[in-house]
Amino acid sequence: MVGGHLSEAAAPVVEVAALRKRYGRTLALDGIDLSIRRNEVFALLGPNGAGKTTLIHILCTLLKPDGGTARIGGFDVSRQPLKARKQLGVVFQEPSLDGRLTVQENLNFHGLVHRVPYRLRMRRIREMLELVELSEWRNALVRTLSAGMKRRVEIARALIHDSAVIILDEPTVGLDAQSRERIWTYLNKLRRERDLTLIVTTHYIDEVDGCDRVCIVDGGKVLALDTPEALRARYGKEQVRITPRDAAARSGILAQNEGAVAEPGGDVVIPGATHAVVDRLLGSFGTGISNIAIERPSLESVFLALTGREIRDTAGERPTIARPNSRSGEPVN
Amino acid sequence: MTDATHTAPAERAAPEGDGRSWGALGALGGIWLREVKRALRDRGQLIGGVSRPLLYILVMGIGLNPYFRAEVYGEVRFVVPYSYLQFIFAGVVVLNVMYTSVQSAVSVIWDREFGFLREVLVAPVPRFVLVLGKVLGGATVATLHGCIVLLFARFADVDLMAGNIAGAIGLIFLLAFCLTSLGIAIAHQVRSFEGFGVFSNAVILPLFFTSSSVFPLDPSLTRSQMIVLYPEWLVTVIYANPLTYAVDALRGKLIGFNQFAPSAGPILLVVLSVVFFLFALRGFRRG
Repeated sequence: MVGGHLSEAAAPVVEVAALRKRYGRTLALDGIDLSIRRNEVFALLGPNGAGKTTLIHILCTLLKPDGGTARIGGFDVSRQPLKARKQLGVVFQEPSLDGRLTVQENLNFHGLVHRVPYRLRMRRIREMLELVELSEWRNALVRTLSAGMKRRVEIARALIHDSAVIILDEPTVGLDAQSRERIWTYLNKLRRERDLTLIVTTHYIDEVDGCDRVCIVDGGKVLALDTPEALRARYGKEQVRITPRDAAARSGILAQNEGAVAEPGGDVVIPGATHAVVDRLLGSFGTGISNIAIERPSLESVFLALTGREIRDTAGERPTIARPNSRSGEPVN
Repeated sequence: MTDATHTAPAERAAPEGDGRSWGALGALGGIWLREVKRALRDRGQLIGGVSRPLLYILVMGIGLNPYFRAEVYGEVRFVVPYSYLQFIFAGVVVLNVMYTSVQSAVSVIWDREFGFLREVLVAPVPRFVLVLGKVLGGATVATLHGCIVLLFARFADVDLMAGNIAGAIGLIFLLAFCLTSLGIAIAHQVRSFEGFGVFSNAVILPLFFTSSSVFPLDPSLTRSQMIVLYPEWLVTVIYANPLTYAVDALRGKLIGFNQFAPSAGPILLVVLSVVFFLFALRGFRRG
């Protein structure tokens, strides 16, 4: 878990109140209330069309809300858009670099339009390129870079000016696992060095797990907002995972327990189970069980409980069975 | 690479109150520099900027040079006391400026298409500075392309003197600013590169050919006499085409021949520049 230096008293750096936005007949945002504290990693989680991108675009001042207010660092995004934008660094879902300019030129352009003085600008460009390990590529034309490298340049770019809030809209989508991990390494490293509030939208549940607070939105409304732990405790369901030794034990367990699910790997999963169930199973099957564990509720199941949908479906990826977070599995015997 | 004079020397972010104008100038410079760099890196555009005037001067100019005299009522006379090459020269400069200005407007579509527009819209830069930077950048490149044509002046027997050149370049820049603004204003209405290609072909060449750039209207003739020579609709179109007056003013600077009042061109260009710039700005305001 990250967190730790998160204090309740800290003034909110982003405040959203009763925010509404309508596109024609679809209500994209239906009264969103949020407050994001200084120095926290705030995750926005929701299916496609939930209103995440609309919310982000309003925060970036690209869209005007129909009602309600949004403030960044105390500045209203509709009334003082220039001042609000000054506080902000944005990494968009789609690339927004100029492919015909070099890495250095793209970063310099950003520094110029954000009015970063020359020396500070040059220093930041150097430091940020070092951070994302692209120093040797500074004079390469951006169009010659790979997708992962481009994303890293964009992250470096969002940090050239004195941004208090960095908004990352799906920063790791379409990247391989290695690049995803690297990007999170950079972000965490930065948070240790500099006051930084991160707002992240993502479809990857394991990334959300590392955030300070998670906000689940659907249908333009906030369904839940809390730490991953609290969300798990409140909406998630624990389950018992049993690895039977043979087929006989497997069918026995399935027959005795209502709601037990046989998984393709041979495991049997009983949702909502408790220690009593574990004791009973061990009593009646004993040696027929090679492994048994109570698994902590996954955020995946929290999401499912709140929205009635699985996040993988909504991400447009191949639908998979919601797999509990096995790393957090808690062995019993 | 960057203009150090535009930024405060101290290592601090510009505070709210003071240094604001410098900051805005820095942003303006950044946007301008990007447009110029992009255009100069585009080899195709540069090649076009050289080959197009060569084609018009060498082929059309030299080819039509011997026929540049008219026989009116059996009496052989020169319509204008210049060779065709000299006459067409200003038109070729304008054509080069037109193509490049419109090309720079494509960068607006490009930005929207490839996401860069968002990077700019999220920056704390007023829309006015943003549009001004873009227009100035495009106008600078178009002016350079206009000046490429001036390098061929010798081949067209056009004498360039210091005084003329300064005035001519000023006019070229004014025209470039006007046309780039127009291009950007229209680029906002167009959603695709293909659409813009159709637009530019449908607008550039008709405007060019009806601007009295490739054939003269005899200044000694009255309008009713001219209608004997040309069909009335053509004369009307030429009079209505603002580019006619821009070409004429430039020709006045380059070879000292004017068909209209020399001040008509610059005045018209300034007025239209303001109008088109406001349209371009409105396009950006709407996103």
